[in-house]
Amino acid sequence: MCGIVGYSGHRHASDVLMEGLKRLEYRGYDSAGLAMVEKDHLTLVKRQGELDVLKHSLPRLEGHTGIGHTRWATCGRPSDRNAHPFLSCDGKLAIVHNGIIENYMALREGLEAKGHRFTSDTDTEVMVHLLEEHYEKDLRKALVLTIQDIQGTYAIAAVREGGKEIVAARKENPLVVGLGVKENFLASDVTALLSYTSKVLYIMDGETVSLTPSEVKIYDSEGTLVKREPSMITWSAEDAQKGGFEHFMLKEIFEEPNAIHNTLLGAQDMIENGEVLPNTDFQSIKIVACGSSYHAAMGGKYAMEEFAGVPTTLELASEYRYSPGARECPLVILVTQSGETADTLAAAREAKRRGCRTLAVTNVVGSTITREVDEVFYTRAGPEIGVAATKTFLTQALAMYLLAIRIGYAKGVLSYDSMRSALSSLRQSSNMVQSVLNHVHDIEMASRLIDPSEHCFFIGRNINYPTVLEGALKLKEISYIHAEGFAAGELKHGPLALLDSTTPVIAVAIKGDHTYEKMLANISEVAARDSPVLGVGIEGDTELARLCEKVIYIPKVHPLFSPIPVTVALQVLSYYVAKRRGCSIDKPKNLAKSVTVE
Amino acid sequence: MKAVILAAGEGTRLQPFTMSRPKVMIPIGNRPILEYVIRALAANGITDIVLVVGYMKERIMSFFGNGSNFGVRITYAIQEKQLGTAHAALIVRDQIKDDFILVAGDNIIDAQAIADLLRHKGGLSMLVTDSEIPSKYGVVQTREGRVVDIIEKPDKGMGNIINTGIYHFPPEIFDYLEKGVMSGKAGITHVMHSCISKLHVEAVRSTGRWMDAVYPWDLIRLNEYAFNLAGQETSGTIESGVSLRGPVYIGAGTKIRAGSYIEGPAVIGEGCEIGPYAAIFPTTSIGNGVQVAPFTIIYNSMIMNNVSIGSHSHLSQAVIDDGCRIGTGFAAPSGPAQVRVEDEHFRVDKAGSMVGEFTVVGPKVVLSAGTVIGANSRIGDGAKVSGTLENRSIVI
Repeated sequence: MCGIVGYSGHRHASDVLMEGLKRLEYRGYDSAGLAMVEKDHLTLVKRQGELDVLKHSLPRLEGHTGIGHTRWATCGRPSDRNAHPFLSCDGKLAIVHNGIIENYMALREGLEAKGHRFTSDTDTEVMVHLLEEHYEKDLRKALVLTIQDIQGTYAIAAVREGGKEIVAARKENPLVVGLGVKENFLASDVTALLSYTSKVLYIMDGETVSLTPSEVKIYDSEGTLVKREPSMITWSAEDAQKGGFEHFMLKEIFEEPNAIHNTLLGAQDMIENGEVLPNTDFQSIKIVACGSSYHAAMGGKYAMEEFAGVPTTLELASEYRYSPGARECPLVILVTQSGETADTLAAAREAKRRGCRTLAVTNVVGSTITREVDEVFYTRAGPEIGVAATKTFLTQALAMYLLAIRIGYAKGVLSYDSMRSALSSLRQSSNMVQSVLNHVHDIEMASRLIDPSEHCFFIGRNINYPTVLEGALKLKEISYIHAEGFAAGELKHGPLALLDSTTPVIAVAIKGDHTYEKMLANISEVAARDSPVLGVGIEGDTELARLCEKVIYIPKVHPLFSPIPVTVALQVLSYYVAKRRGCSIDKPKNLAKSVTVE
Repeated sequence: MKAVILAAGEGTRLQPFTMSRPKVMIPIGNRPILEYVIRALAANGITDIVLVVGYMKERIMSFFGNGSNFGVRITYAIQEKQLGTAHAALIVRDQIKDDFILVAGDNIIDAQAIADLLRHKGGLSMLVTDSEIPSKYGVVQTREGRVVDIIEKPDKGMGNIINTGIYHFPPEIFDYLEKGVMSGKAGITHVMHSCISKLHVEAVRSTGRWMDAVYPWDLIRLNEYAFNLAGQETSGTIESGVSLRGPVYIGAGTKIRAGSYIEGPAVIGEGCEIGPYAAIFPTTSIGNGVQVAPFTIIYNSMIMNNVSIGSHSHLSQAVIDDGCRIGTGFAAPSGPAQVRVEDEHFRVDKAGSMVGEFTVVGPKVVLSAGTVIGANSRIGDGAKVSGTLENRSIVI
């Protein structure tokens, strides 16, 4: 999604802004721009395309204050003129915006009637004209009046000619201030700031900010000055570098054993002493999420029912928030990597409104969702830059197991002994994953079966049904192959009609699972339609090998925990398929890392 | 000055412990061997490092990243096929413009070793040390501080001064290496041997540490030594009634249960559960996520990550790789042993058992001194095992 940066201090602002935008690239964008407060005027440069395009068209810029933006088009197609920032009619104010303005049509008509000239098709541009209308002496006050006029979601930053001040506001879009010495920073995301400072202030919904080189003032919606202690960020900018790997995605896949270890640290205390969910008197659970997180949630449903015996339902966040909601009061678990996913945030608010207890599973400390829910479980995957979720997905899946074990143990469904043995299996999973990674070259060879095709199916059953859905999502995200995941039992209800020798099928069949024989039968059906079958199974499974063209092996594992190594194998498979097809793996077209619009 | 570290090799003689990691990533005192090398360089202000990686390179890259956690800047060069050290060094040719330090990544060294080499003002120089088993290394003959010959793994006694594989090289060395590789010489020492009269190589005697592991039982010796270097701190939970003596390092999230006795030097990683009533004696390292059940005693051993050891077990000088699950009543004593490695037999004064990754050992199993069990093996209940077992062995 769009990214915002701002800087006011002693350095050349254009360098700081370009560096910040570079760090926000992972959010996805199609155009970028800067507005700089130069000696006697505002300079605006914006271009469609990669940041390098913008970099090459920058004139010599001397200013020490400015704002920048990467745009992911929502209203108005990607083009130079629709790129941010936007200038007011008098050329004295500039603004950047992340979010959606819902009432911009009406506002635009009104402003045009007053004589304002518009230069783009975007919703954002109304705000700079509103700001111009409201501006008297105090830029922040003008911003406050502006946001009173608009309906929608936003993180906004604005500058004025001749000033060192940047003003900003947020509603349901992330915004963070970085504190330096005689310089201050603003960004959508801490990753943009890490090269300069690790001291940050998170801005809350409804607040406005006035930022100058010497001070940062935050006001709440009543206009009262807010006192807030800075938070320290423990990630470093270097965490977000590739360190020898060709792509962030591969680097992050190889970090998975460590991510598992970190997420499991203290797991036993958490489960035995109830450090999360001290009270488990709910009768049902609802898990709400989007995208990959939804697939983790789906695995969570199996785990909750298996370990805790609690009826569990699933909903997509974008559906749950508009659903009628029966009169029940489940524990609502919200899963979002970034903690900023717009639909999941809205779902959290809806759940609270319905009087439900809420628990968030997220990877980002201090993200918006952590302030919206009753309890937070942090996955400790570390920063993830590749747009396709890998280690964060895996740790989400792990979190689901841990929560299920906690609930099961607290409710007395799981004995002490079963709890210990389940935990011990989870500990082993980091080795399982390492073992899959030790054989990436076998998976690379297997990827040749997939990369020439345009369509591809993934099938699995039981707890590996969500695994194949995620496998298919990963493949389509980064290789642009049309991939679909199906519960193997559903094949006969339609998809079988699409199979032929050019449509490979990836089948997960875990020996020891009670659906294993059924899976083998399904694989035979597929093979009978001439589709090449790539099996994923347990080492030494000769029965599976007989039915498949090729098999990717994972180490011997209890079927309940098999989704962990299988997921990793499928991630590696997608990576190599995309690589063989020459795709832009870390920045797939049209996609953004955290989806902060609805 | 830049440093080039050669870290592409597999270390086949250390099987099964190089099954899924290169030799440089074997943990000694819970840190990869390569980390000691990098820290030794960093301590001497050498922070610009090129790592030549190959076999299982991802293990190295995902651990060290760009080096920022170790206070250095690392770039990587990839040797696709392991064609020897001379070939490996040539890969970095276009990244090196000035004099540089070349170091083998698979020996444990300390900062003094590098300092000795840096203090010597001269051109091409080689760090040498004396060894008890010179026949395993490149033996160096010197005259007035100059190397007059270097013979790799000599059959007959030629002195005990050996090459440590640490050099100070001018960039011109690449021309010699290239010629050497073209004429079929794989190792840097082979190349130097062939043109020793043309090169003016000075020998610098190391006063620091230099230690190598050639065979699996050497790992225990390295592990004992590594504790001289480790900084000690303690976190985790230590229940009442636990005795900790000497330097004991305990990682975050680890629990030492009541009644356990740990004598340092010992290091225990993160997220472990030790005891109740377990005893650990010097010099022992235990990785992350390890469980040691009650009434188990561990002497002078290396236990890697996510291992579980059942109650009433006895381990002495044992090396247990990742993910092994060992049942109750396991006995793995140490003693004099004859061990087979790659069809060669060695008489070792004192060796324990060595167990490869993911091996599952049933209850009441006895391993004789010097037993080597390959990775992914299954040892059935009550089995008595000795000798060397291949990977994926099954003992009933």
